Amino acid sequence: MLATGDLNSYYGRSHILQGITLRVEKGEVTSIIGRNGTGKTTFLRSIMGLTDRTSGSILFEEREISASEPHERARSGIAYVPQGREIIPDFSVRENILMGAFARRDGKREVPALVAELFPYLVENLERAGGLLSGGQQQQLAIARALAADPKLILLDEPNEGIQPSIVEVIEQVIFRLNRELGLTVLLVEQNVRFVREVSHRFAVMEKGKLVVQGESGELSDEIVHKHLAV
Amino acid sequence: MVEVLFIGLSLSSILLLIALGLAITYGAMGVINMAHGDMVMIGAYVTVMSKIWLGLDFYFAIPLAFIVTALIGLLIERIVIRRLYGRLLDTLLATWGISILLQQAVRLELGLSFFGLHIEGLGPGLQKVDVPEFLRGTISFGDTELNGYRMFIILVTIALTFVTWFLLYRTAFGVQVRAIIRNPEMAAASGIDVKRVNSLTFAFGSGLAGVAGVMMSGFKTVFPDMGATLVVDGFMVVVAGGVGSIYGTILSSGLLGEINALVALASNDIIARAVVFAVVILVIILKPKGLFSFKER
Repeated sequence: MLATGDLNSYYGRSHILQGITLRVEKGEVTSIIGRNGTGKTTFLRSIMGLTDRTSGSILFEEREISASEPHERARSGIAYVPQGREIIPDFSVRENILMGAFARRDGKREVPALVAELFPYLVENLERAGGLLSGGQQQQLAIARALAADPKLILLDEPNEGIQPSIVEVIEQVIFRLNRELGLTVLLVEQNVRFVREVSHRFAVMEKGKLVVQGESGELSDEIVHKHLAV
Repeated sequence: MVEVLFIGLSLSSILLLIALGLAITYGAMGVINMAHGDMVMIGAYVTVMSKIWLGLDFYFAIPLAFIVTALIGLLIERIVIRRLYGRLLDTLLATWGISILLQQAVRLELGLSFFGLHIEGLGPGLQKVDVPEFLRGTISFGDTELNGYRMFIILVTIALTFVTWFLLYRTAFGVQVRAIIRNPEMAAASGIDVKRVNSLTFAFGSGLAGVAGVMMSGFKTVFPDMGATLVVDGFMVVVAGGVGSIYGTILSSGLLGEINALVALASNDIIARAVVFAVVILVIILKPKGLFSFKER
Protein backbone atom coordinates (compact mmCIF):
# COMPACT_ATOMS: atom_id res chain seq x y z
CA MET A 1 0.00 0.00 0.00
CA LEU A 2 2.78 2.39 0.96
CA ALA A 3 6.39 2.03 -0.07
CA THR A 4 9.23 4.43 0.51
CA GLY A 5 12.36 4.05 -1.55
CA ASP A 6 15.67 5.50 -0.38
CA LEU A 7 13.79 8.30 1.42
CA ASN A 8 15.96 11.11 2.75
CA SER A 9 14.66 14.02 4.76
CA TYR A 10 16.30 17.24 5.87
CA TYR A 11 15.61 20.04 8.32
CA GLY A 12 17.65 22.98 7.13
CA ARG A 13 21.12 21.53 6.83
CA SER A 14 20.70 18.51 9.04
CA HIS A 15 20.17 15.25 7.27
CA ILE A 16 17.60 13.48 9.45
CA LEU A 17 16.44 10.44 7.49
CA GLN A 18 19.07 8.57 5.55
CA GLY A 19 17.79 6.28 2.87
CA ILE A 20 14.68 4.72 4.41
CA THR A 21 13.23 1.87 2.36
CA LEU A 22 10.09 0.37 3.86
CA ARG A 23 6.97 -1.35 2.60
CA VAL A 24 3.67 -1.13 4.45
CA GLU A 25 1.39 -3.93 3.28
CA LYS A 26 -2.33 -3.39 2.85
CA GLY A 27 -4.39 -4.48 5.83
CA GLU A 28 -1.41 -4.83 8.14
CA VAL A 29 -0.04 -3.00 11.14
CA THR A 30 3.58 -1.99 10.66
CA SER A 31 5.36 -0.62 13.72
CA ILE A 32 8.47 1.50 13.87
CA ILE A 33 10.41 1.35 17.09
CA GLY A 34 13.60 2.98 18.22
CA ARG A 35 15.01 5.33 20.81
CA ASN A 36 13.98 8.97 21.06
CA GLY A 37 15.41 11.33 18.45
CA THR A 38 16.19 8.68 15.86
CA GLY A 39 13.86 10.11 13.23
CA LYS A 40 10.63 8.14 13.69
CA THR A 41 8.45 11.22 13.87
CA THR A 42 10.32 12.78 10.95
CA PHE A 43 9.56 9.67 8.94
CA LEU A 44 5.80 10.05 9.48
CA ARG A 45 6.00 13.78 8.80
CA SER A 46 7.90 13.12 5.57
CA ILE A 47 5.19 10.74 4.40
CA MET A 48 2.67 13.49 5.11
CA GLY A 49 4.79 16.11 3.33
CA LEU A 50 5.37 18.30 6.37
CA THR A 51 9.16 18.42 6.36
CA ASP A 52 11.38 21.02 4.73
CA ARG A 53 12.85 18.87 1.99
CA THR A 54 12.90 15.21 1.05
CA SER A 55 14.45 13.11 -1.69
CA GLY A 56 13.70 9.58 -2.77
CA SER A 57 10.33 8.11 -3.55
CA ILE A 58 7.08 7.62 -1.66
CA LEU A 59 4.62 5.35 -3.44
CA PHE A 60 1.07 5.23 -2.13
CA GLU A 61 -1.19 2.76 -3.91
CA GLU A 62 1.31 2.65 -6.79
CA ARG A 63 1.24 6.44 -7.16
CA GLU A 64 4.28 8.63 -6.57
CA ILE A 65 3.25 11.23 -3.99
CA SER A 66 6.58 12.70 -2.93
CA ALA A 67 5.93 15.89 -4.92
CA SER A 68 2.33 16.34 -3.70
CA GLU A 69 1.16 18.96 -1.24
CA PRO A 70 0.21 17.69 2.25
CA HIS A 71 -3.51 18.24 1.66
CA GLU A 72 -3.36 16.21 -1.54
CA ARG A 73 -1.72 13.33 0.32
CA ALA A 74 -4.44 13.58 2.99
CA ARG A 75 -7.13 13.52 0.30
CA SER A 76 -5.58 10.50 -1.36
CA GLY A 77 -6.32 8.54 1.83
CA ILE A 78 -3.51 9.03 4.35
CA ALA A 79 -4.54 10.27 7.79
CA TYR A 80 -2.09 11.50 10.40
CA VAL A 81 -2.37 11.42 14.19
CA PRO A 82 0.63 13.42 15.33
CA GLN A 83 2.65 13.17 18.48
CA GLY A 84 1.20 15.49 21.09
CA ARG A 85 -2.21 15.14 19.38
CA GLU A 86 -2.37 18.74 18.11
CA ILE A 87 -6.08 19.12 18.39
CA ILE A 88 -7.34 22.70 18.28
CA PRO A 89 -8.10 23.77 21.86
CA ASP A 90 -10.76 26.40 21.15
CA PHE A 91 -12.56 24.33 18.52
CA SER A 92 -15.44 22.23 19.79
CA VAL A 93 -15.10 18.46 19.71
CA ARG A 94 -17.38 18.45 16.67
CA GLU A 95 -15.30 21.06 14.82
CA ASN A 96 -12.12 19.15 15.61
CA ILE A 97 -13.55 15.93 14.23
CA LEU A 98 -15.01 17.61 11.15
CA MET A 99 -11.66 19.22 10.43
CA GLY A 100 -10.50 15.79 9.34
CA ALA A 101 -13.46 15.48 6.98
CA PHE A 102 -11.91 18.05 4.62
CA ALA A 103 -9.79 15.16 3.37
CA ARG A 104 -12.82 13.05 2.43
CA ARG A 105 -13.05 12.35 -1.27
CA ASP A 106 -16.85 12.33 -1.36
CA GLY A 107 -17.10 15.75 0.29
CA LYS A 108 -19.35 14.53 3.13
CA ARG A 109 -18.94 16.42 6.36
CA GLU A 110 -20.26 14.34 9.23
CA VAL A 111 -19.10 12.66 12.39
CA PRO A 112 -18.71 9.03 11.25
CA ALA A 113 -20.82 6.36 12.91
CA LEU A 114 -17.58 4.55 13.66
CA VAL A 115 -16.45 7.42 15.90
CA ALA A 116 -19.69 7.21 17.87
CA GLU A 117 -19.10 3.52 18.37
CA LEU A 118 -15.43 3.73 19.36
CA PHE A 119 -15.54 6.93 21.40
CA PRO A 120 -18.99 7.39 22.96
CA TYR A 121 -17.62 10.06 25.29
CA LEU A 122 -16.73 12.33 22.36
CA VAL A 123 -20.14 12.02 20.74
CA GLU A 124 -21.83 12.85 24.05
CA ASN A 125 -19.72 15.99 24.34
CA LEU A 126 -19.67 17.33 20.80
CA GLU A 127 -20.06 20.96 21.85
CA ARG A 128 -17.30 20.95 24.48
CA ALA A 129 -14.09 22.80 23.67
CA GLY A 130 -11.32 20.38 22.69
CA GLY A 131 -8.91 22.07 25.10
CA LEU A 132 -11.06 21.10 28.09
CA LEU A 133 -10.62 17.36 27.47
CA SER A 134 -8.08 15.24 29.33
CA GLY A 135 -4.95 14.07 27.55
CA GLY A 136 -6.42 10.67 26.83
CA GLN A 137 -9.66 12.14 25.55
CA GLN A 138 -7.68 14.48 23.31
CA GLN A 139 -5.85 11.47 21.92
CA GLN A 140 -9.18 9.85 21.14
CA LEU A 141 -10.25 13.10 19.52
CA ALA A 142 -7.12 13.14 17.34
CA ILE A 143 -7.88 9.59 16.21
CA ALA A 144 -11.52 10.52 15.58
CA ARG A 145 -10.36 13.45 13.46
CA ALA A 146 -8.22 11.10 11.39
CA LEU A 147 -11.13 8.65 10.98
CA ALA A 148 -13.43 11.44 9.78
CA ALA A 149 -11.31 11.47 6.62
CA ASP A 150 -12.35 7.88 5.88
CA PRO A 151 -8.68 6.99 5.31
CA LYS A 152 -7.05 3.94 3.80
CA LEU A 153 -3.85 4.31 5.80
CA ILE A 154 -3.48 5.86 9.22
CA LEU A 155 -0.17 7.13 10.63
CA LEU A 156 -0.08 7.02 14.43
CA ASP A 157 2.76 8.70 16.29
CA GLU A 158 3.14 7.37 19.84
CA PRO A 159 -0.59 7.34 20.55
CA ASN A 160 -0.03 6.19 24.13
CA GLU A 161 2.59 8.68 25.16
CA GLY A 162 1.74 10.68 28.27
CA ILE A 163 -1.70 9.20 28.79
CA GLN A 164 -3.27 7.79 31.92
CA PRO A 165 -3.03 3.95 32.00
CA SER A 166 -6.80 3.39 31.92
CA ILE A 167 -7.03 5.16 28.55
CA VAL A 168 -3.92 3.46 27.15
CA GLU A 169 -5.87 0.22 27.17
CA VAL A 170 -8.82 1.83 25.39
CA ILE A 171 -6.59 3.23 22.69
CA GLU A 172 -4.77 -0.05 22.21
CA GLN A 173 -8.13 -1.74 21.77
CA VAL A 174 -9.19 0.86 19.23
CA ILE A 175 -6.04 0.40 17.14
CA PHE A 176 -6.55 -3.35 17.30
CA ARG A 177 -10.15 -3.10 16.14
CA LEU A 178 -9.45 -0.56 13.41
CA ASN A 179 -7.04 -3.01 11.86
CA ARG A 180 -8.48 -6.43 12.62
CA GLU A 181 -12.17 -5.68 12.22
CA LEU A 182 -12.20 -2.81 9.76
CA GLY A 183 -9.11 -3.66 7.75
CA LEU A 184 -7.50 -0.25 8.09
CA THR A 185 -3.79 -0.23 7.30
CA VAL A 186 -1.74 1.22 10.16
CA LEU A 187 1.77 2.62 10.35
CA LEU A 188 2.53 2.96 14.05
CA VAL A 189 5.40 4.62 15.87
CA GLU A 190 5.50 3.13 19.35
CA GLN A 191 7.85 2.67 22.31
CA ASN A 192 5.92 -0.04 24.10
CA VAL A 193 7.36 -3.35 22.91
CA ARG A 194 4.61 -5.44 24.47
CA PHE A 195 1.97 -3.59 22.45
CA VAL A 196 4.09 -3.70 19.29
CA ARG A 197 4.34 -7.49 19.57
CA GLU A 198 0.62 -7.76 20.22
CA VAL A 199 -0.70 -5.60 17.44
CA SER A 200 1.84 -5.57 14.61
CA HIS A 201 2.34 -7.80 11.64
CA ARG A 202 5.73 -6.31 10.86
CA PHE A 203 8.20 -4.09 12.62
CA ALA A 204 11.19 -1.97 11.74
CA VAL A 205 13.83 -0.56 14.07
CA MET A 206 15.14 2.93 13.45
CA GLU A 207 18.50 4.15 14.63
CA LYS A 208 20.16 7.46 13.74
CA GLY A 209 17.87 8.04 10.77
CA LYS A 210 18.30 4.56 9.29
CA LEU A 211 16.29 1.35 9.48
CA VAL A 212 18.66 -1.20 11.00
CA VAL A 213 16.38 -4.24 11.43
CA GLN A 214 13.11 -5.18 9.73
CA GLY A 215 10.98 -8.27 10.00
CA GLU A 216 7.74 -9.95 10.95
CA SER A 217 6.67 -9.27 14.48
CA GLY A 218 7.45 -12.85 15.56
CA GLU A 219 11.08 -12.05 14.84
CA LEU A 220 11.15 -9.14 17.28
CA SER A 221 13.38 -10.90 19.80
CA ASP A 222 14.46 -9.72 23.24
CA GLU A 223 17.94 -9.47 21.83
CA ILE A 224 16.89 -6.91 19.21
CA VAL A 225 14.93 -5.00 21.81
CA HIS A 226 17.87 -4.96 24.18
CA LYS A 227 20.35 -3.92 21.53
CA HIS A 228 18.34 -1.13 19.92
CA LEU A 229 15.89 0.08 22.53
CA ALA A 230 17.51 -0.21 25.95
CA VAL A 231 18.61 3.16 27.23
CA MET B 1 -23.06 64.55 22.97
CA VAL B 2 -24.98 61.88 21.09
CA GLU B 3 -23.89 63.53 17.83
CA VAL B 4 -20.24 63.28 18.85
CA LEU B 5 -20.51 59.63 19.84
CA PHE B 6 -22.28 59.07 16.56
CA ILE B 7 -19.45 60.70 14.60
CA GLY B 8 -17.04 58.55 16.63
CA LEU B 9 -19.01 55.48 15.64
CA SER B 10 -18.75 56.34 11.96
CA LEU B 11 -14.97 56.82 12.31
CA SER B 12 -14.84 53.49 14.13
CA SER B 13 -16.71 51.89 11.25
CA ILE B 14 -14.15 52.95 8.67
CA LEU B 15 -11.35 51.82 11.00
CA LEU B 16 -13.05 48.48 11.46
CA LEU B 17 -13.46 47.87 7.73
CA ILE B 18 -9.75 48.54 7.27
CA ALA B 19 -8.65 46.58 10.33
CA LEU B 20 -10.78 43.46 9.77
CA GLY B 21 -8.81 42.55 6.68
CA LEU B 22 -5.53 43.19 8.46
CA ALA B 23 -6.63 41.25 11.53
CA ILE B 24 -7.31 38.20 9.39
CA THR B 25 -4.20 38.37 7.20
CA TYR B 26 -1.83 39.33 10.02
CA GLY B 27 -3.44 37.04 12.57
CA ALA B 28 -3.99 34.09 10.26
CA MET B 29 -1.16 34.23 7.83
CA GLY B 30 1.51 36.19 9.70
CA VAL B 31 1.77 38.68 6.88
CA ILE B 32 2.25 42.40 7.50
CA ASN B 33 0.54 43.86 4.48
CA MET B 34 1.71 47.43 3.99
CA ALA B 35 -0.26 47.61 0.72
CA HIS B 36 -3.55 47.19 2.60
CA GLY B 37 -4.04 50.97 2.83
CA ASP B 38 -3.68 51.19 -0.91
CA MET B 39 -6.65 48.88 -1.30
CA VAL B 40 -8.60 51.62 0.50
CA MET B 41 -7.15 54.16 -1.93
CA ILE B 42 -8.03 52.00 -4.94
CA GLY B 43 -11.54 51.48 -3.56
CA ALA B 44 -11.90 55.25 -3.35
CA TYR B 45 -10.62 55.70 -6.90
CA VAL B 46 -13.00 53.02 -8.16
CA THR B 47 -15.80 55.17 -6.75
CA VAL B 48 -14.47 58.26 -8.54
CA MET B 49 -13.74 56.58 -11.83
CA SER B 50 -16.89 54.47 -12.02
CA LYS B 51 -18.80 57.75 -11.90
CA ILE B 52 -16.64 59.46 -14.53
CA TRP B 53 -16.06 56.54 -16.88
CA LEU B 54 -19.14 54.43 -16.43
CA GLY B 55 -21.60 56.94 -15.10
CA LEU B 56 -22.41 54.57 -12.26
CA ASP B 57 -24.19 55.62 -9.12
CA PHE B 58 -22.38 55.73 -5.77
CA TYR B 59 -24.16 52.60 -4.56
CA PHE B 60 -22.83 50.51 -7.44
CA ALA B 61 -19.30 51.50 -6.51
CA ILE B 62 -19.55 49.37 -3.34
CA PRO B 63 -19.69 45.93 -5.00
CA LEU B 64 -17.47 47.12 -7.84
CA ALA B 65 -14.76 48.35 -5.45
CA PHE B 66 -15.00 45.11 -3.48
CA ILE B 67 -14.47 43.03 -6.61
CA VAL B 68 -11.64 45.18 -8.02
CA THR B 69 -9.66 45.32 -4.76
CA ALA B 70 -10.31 41.66 -3.98
CA LEU B 71 -8.89 40.73 -7.40
CA ILE B 72 -5.87 42.95 -6.88
CA GLY B 73 -5.40 41.38 -3.44
CA LEU B 74 -5.62 37.92 -5.00
CA LEU B 75 -2.94 38.87 -7.54
CA ILE B 76 -0.63 40.28 -4.85
CA GLU B 77 -1.01 37.09 -2.82
CA ARG B 78 -0.42 34.82 -5.80
CA ILE B 79 2.56 36.70 -7.19
CA VAL B 80 4.42 37.93 -4.11
CA ILE B 81 3.12 36.98 -0.68
CA ARG B 82 2.72 33.25 -1.37
CA ARG B 83 6.50 33.02 -1.73
CA LEU B 84 7.13 34.75 1.58
CA TYR B 85 5.06 32.86 4.15
CA GLY B 86 6.80 32.55 7.49
CA ARG B 87 9.08 35.51 6.75
CA LEU B 88 7.36 38.37 8.55
CA LEU B 89 9.87 41.14 7.85
CA ASP B 90 10.21 40.17 4.21
CA THR B 91 6.46 40.45 3.75
CA LEU B 92 6.62 43.92 5.31
CA LEU B 93 9.28 45.12 2.86
CA ALA B 94 7.77 43.43 -0.19
CA THR B 95 4.27 44.75 0.44
CA TRP B 96 5.68 48.22 1.15
CA GLY B 97 7.23 48.03 -2.31
CA ILE B 98 3.90 47.00 -3.78
CA SER B 99 2.30 49.91 -1.96
CA ILE B 100 4.71 52.39 -3.58
CA LEU B 101 4.15 50.80 -6.98
CA LEU B 102 0.37 51.08 -6.65
CA GLN B 103 0.53 54.70 -5.50
CA GLN B 104 2.81 55.70 -8.36
CA ALA B 105 0.73 53.80 -10.88
CA VAL B 106 -2.42 55.62 -9.79
CA ARG B 107 -0.60 58.94 -9.73
CA LEU B 108 0.76 58.37 -13.25
CA GLU B 109 -2.53 57.26 -14.69
CA LEU B 110 -5.05 59.39 -12.85
CA GLY B 111 -3.12 61.88 -10.82
CA LEU B 112 -2.30 64.54 -13.36
CA SER B 113 -3.98 65.68 -16.51
CA PHE B 114 -1.87 63.90 -19.06
CA PHE B 115 -0.56 65.46 -22.28
CA GLY B 116 -2.92 68.34 -21.94
CA LEU B 117 -5.79 65.92 -22.16
CA HIS B 118 -8.33 66.85 -19.57
CA ILE B 119 -11.06 64.69 -18.25
CA GLU B 120 -13.64 66.33 -16.10
CA GLY B 121 -13.05 65.71 -12.43
CA LEU B 122 -9.35 65.01 -12.85
CA GLY B 123 -7.08 67.45 -11.13
CA PRO B 124 -3.63 67.11 -9.63
CA GLY B 125 -4.47 63.77 -8.11
CA LEU B 126 -7.16 65.11 -5.85
CA GLN B 127 -10.67 63.86 -6.31
CA LYS B 128 -13.92 64.09 -4.56
CA VAL B 129 -17.15 62.20 -4.78
CA ASP B 130 -20.68 63.46 -4.50
CA VAL B 131 -22.72 61.23 -2.28
CA PRO B 132 -26.29 60.58 -3.39
CA GLU B 133 -28.92 63.19 -2.59
CA PHE B 134 -30.71 60.73 -0.36
CA LEU B 135 -27.75 60.49 2.05
CA ARG B 136 -26.88 64.17 2.20
CA GLY B 137 -29.44 65.32 4.69
CA THR B 138 -29.83 64.55 8.34
CA ILE B 139 -32.17 62.20 10.10
CA SER B 140 -33.80 63.42 13.29
CA PHE B 141 -34.29 61.31 16.35
CA GLY B 142 -36.07 63.53 18.86
CA ASP B 143 -33.69 66.45 19.44
CA THR B 144 -30.65 64.86 17.82
CA GLU B 145 -29.88 65.32 14.16
CA LEU B 146 -27.79 62.53 12.68
CA ASN B 147 -25.97 62.86 9.41
CA GLY B 148 -27.45 60.48 6.84
CA TYR B 149 -24.17 59.57 5.19
CA ARG B 150 -22.50 58.68 8.47
CA MET B 151 -25.50 56.53 9.31
CA PHE B 152 -25.04 54.79 5.96
CA ILE B 153 -21.36 54.08 6.74
CA ILE B 154 -22.29 52.54 10.06
CA LEU B 155 -24.99 50.34 8.51
CA VAL B 156 -22.71 49.13 5.72
CA THR B 157 -20.03 48.29 8.29
CA ILE B 158 -22.45 46.38 10.49
CA ALA B 159 -23.61 44.40 7.46
CA LEU B 160 -20.07 43.56 6.34
CA THR B 161 -18.93 42.70 9.85
CA PHE B 162 -21.88 40.33 10.09
CA VAL B 163 -20.94 38.78 6.74
CA THR B 164 -17.34 38.34 7.96
CA TRP B 165 -18.49 36.78 11.22
CA PHE B 166 -20.83 34.47 9.36
CA LEU B 167 -18.10 33.41 6.93
CA LEU B 168 -15.64 32.70 9.73
CA TYR B 169 -17.90 31.04 12.26
CA ARG B 170 -20.77 29.51 10.31
CA THR B 171 -19.30 28.11 7.11
CA ALA B 172 -16.96 25.27 6.20
CA PHE B 173 -14.66 27.88 4.66
CA GLY B 174 -14.48 29.66 8.02
CA VAL B 175 -13.53 26.44 9.80
CA GLN B 176 -10.65 26.10 7.34
CA VAL B 177 -9.51 29.69 7.93
CA ARG B 178 -9.64 29.30 11.71
CA ALA B 179 -7.92 25.92 11.56
CA ILE B 180 -5.08 27.53 9.60
CA ILE B 181 -4.86 30.36 12.17
CA ARG B 182 -4.44 27.80 14.94
CA ASN B 183 -2.31 25.13 13.33
CA PRO B 184 -1.39 25.41 9.65
CA GLU B 185 0.47 22.09 9.53
CA MET B 186 -2.33 20.07 11.05
CA ALA B 187 -4.79 21.91 8.80
CA ALA B 188 -2.84 20.79 5.75
CA ALA B 189 -2.52 17.26 7.07
CA SER B 190 -6.31 17.22 7.52
CA GLY B 191 -6.84 17.89 3.83
CA ILE B 192 -7.21 21.67 3.88
CA ASP B 193 -5.71 23.38 0.84
CA VAL B 194 -3.85 26.01 2.85
CA LYS B 195 -2.58 28.01 -0.13
CA ARG B 196 -5.98 28.30 -1.72
CA VAL B 197 -7.71 29.27 1.53
CA ASN B 198 -5.00 31.83 2.27
CA SER B 199 -5.34 33.54 -1.08
CA LEU B 200 -9.13 33.70 -0.79
CA THR B 201 -8.80 35.09 2.75
CA PHE B 202 -6.35 37.68 1.52
CA ALA B 203 -8.68 38.65 -1.33
CA PHE B 204 -11.62 39.00 1.05
CA GLY B 205 -9.63 41.23 3.41
CA SER B 206 -8.54 43.40 0.49
CA GLY B 207 -12.13 43.65 -0.69
CA LEU B 208 -13.25 44.93 2.73
CA ALA B 209 -10.55 47.60 2.54
CA GLY B 210 -11.84 48.53 -0.90
CA VAL B 211 -15.32 49.10 0.54
CA ALA B 212 -13.76 51.24 3.29
CA GLY B 213 -12.32 53.31 0.42
CA VAL B 214 -15.78 53.82 -1.08
CA MET B 215 -17.06 55.00 2.29
CA MET B 216 -14.11 57.39 2.78
CA SER B 217 -14.46 58.88 -0.67
CA GLY B 218 -17.81 60.34 0.41
CA PHE B 219 -16.34 62.69 3.01
CA LYS B 220 -12.60 62.89 2.39
CA THR B 221 -10.46 63.95 -0.51
CA VAL B 222 -9.30 61.07 -2.66
CA PHE B 223 -5.57 61.13 -3.50
CA PRO B 224 -2.90 58.57 -4.33
CA ASP B 225 -1.11 58.54 -0.93
CA MET B 226 -4.23 58.38 1.21
CA GLY B 227 -3.55 54.73 2.05
CA ALA B 228 -0.22 55.36 3.77
CA THR B 229 -1.69 56.73 7.00
CA LEU B 230 -4.66 54.36 6.88
CA VAL B 231 -2.55 51.22 7.02
CA VAL B 232 -0.95 52.61 10.17
CA ASP B 233 -4.40 53.26 11.65
CA GLY B 234 -5.44 49.74 10.76
CA PHE B 235 -2.43 48.15 12.44
CA MET B 236 -2.95 50.29 15.54
CA VAL B 237 -6.46 48.88 15.83
CA VAL B 238 -5.26 45.31 15.34
CA VAL B 239 -2.36 45.57 17.79
CA ALA B 240 -4.41 47.40 20.44
CA GLY B 241 -7.24 44.90 20.07
CA GLY B 242 -5.08 41.82 20.25
CA VAL B 243 -3.66 39.98 17.27
CA GLY B 244 -5.78 37.11 16.04
CA SER B 245 -8.91 38.21 17.87
CA ILE B 246 -11.77 39.36 15.63
CA TYR B 247 -13.80 40.54 18.63
CA GLY B 248 -10.77 42.45 19.88
CA THR B 249 -10.50 44.20 16.54
CA ILE B 250 -14.16 45.20 16.64
CA LEU B 251 -13.96 46.55 20.20
CA SER B 252 -10.67 48.32 19.70
CA SER B 253 -11.80 50.08 16.52
CA GLY B 254 -14.83 51.27 18.48
CA LEU B 255 -12.61 52.55 21.28
CA LEU B 256 -10.09 54.35 19.08
CA GLY B 257 -12.79 55.87 16.85
CA GLU B 258 -14.65 57.28 19.86
CA ILE B 259 -11.48 58.64 21.47
CA ASN B 260 -10.69 60.36 18.19
CA ALA B 261 -14.15 61.93 17.97
CA LEU B 262 -14.29 63.03 21.62
CA VAL B 263 -10.83 64.61 21.66
CA ALA B 264 -11.46 66.24 18.29
CA LEU B 265 -14.57 67.88 19.78
CA ALA B 266 -12.62 69.25 22.74
CA SER B 267 -9.64 70.44 20.70
CA ASN B 268 -8.96 69.56 17.06
CA ASP B 269 -8.23 66.67 14.71
CA ILE B 270 -4.45 66.87 15.01
CA ILE B 271 -4.50 66.64 18.79
CA ALA B 272 -7.07 63.84 18.54
CA ARG B 273 -4.74 61.81 16.36
CA ALA B 274 -1.86 62.39 18.78
CA VAL B 275 -4.02 61.23 21.68
CA VAL B 276 -5.00 58.07 19.78
CA PHE B 277 -1.32 57.33 19.18
CA ALA B 278 -0.59 57.91 22.88
CA VAL B 279 -3.37 55.55 23.89
CA VAL B 280 -2.09 52.82 21.57
CA ILE B 281 1.48 53.22 22.86
CA LEU B 282 0.15 52.97 26.39
CA VAL B 283 -1.76 49.80 25.52
CA ILE B 284 1.33 48.22 23.97
CA ILE B 285 3.38 49.03 27.07
CA LEU B 286 0.78 47.87 29.60
CA LYS B 287 -0.79 44.97 27.71
CA PRO B 288 1.57 43.82 24.98
CA LYS B 289 -0.88 41.16 23.83
CA GLY B 290 -3.60 43.72 23.26
CA LEU B 291 -6.64 44.79 25.26
CA PHE B 292 -9.02 42.08 24.22
CA SER B 293 -6.93 39.01 23.52
CA PHE B 294 -8.96 36.48 25.44
CA LYS B 295 -6.85 33.51 24.52
CA GLU B 296 -3.29 32.75 23.69
CA ARG B 297 -2.62 32.06 20.05
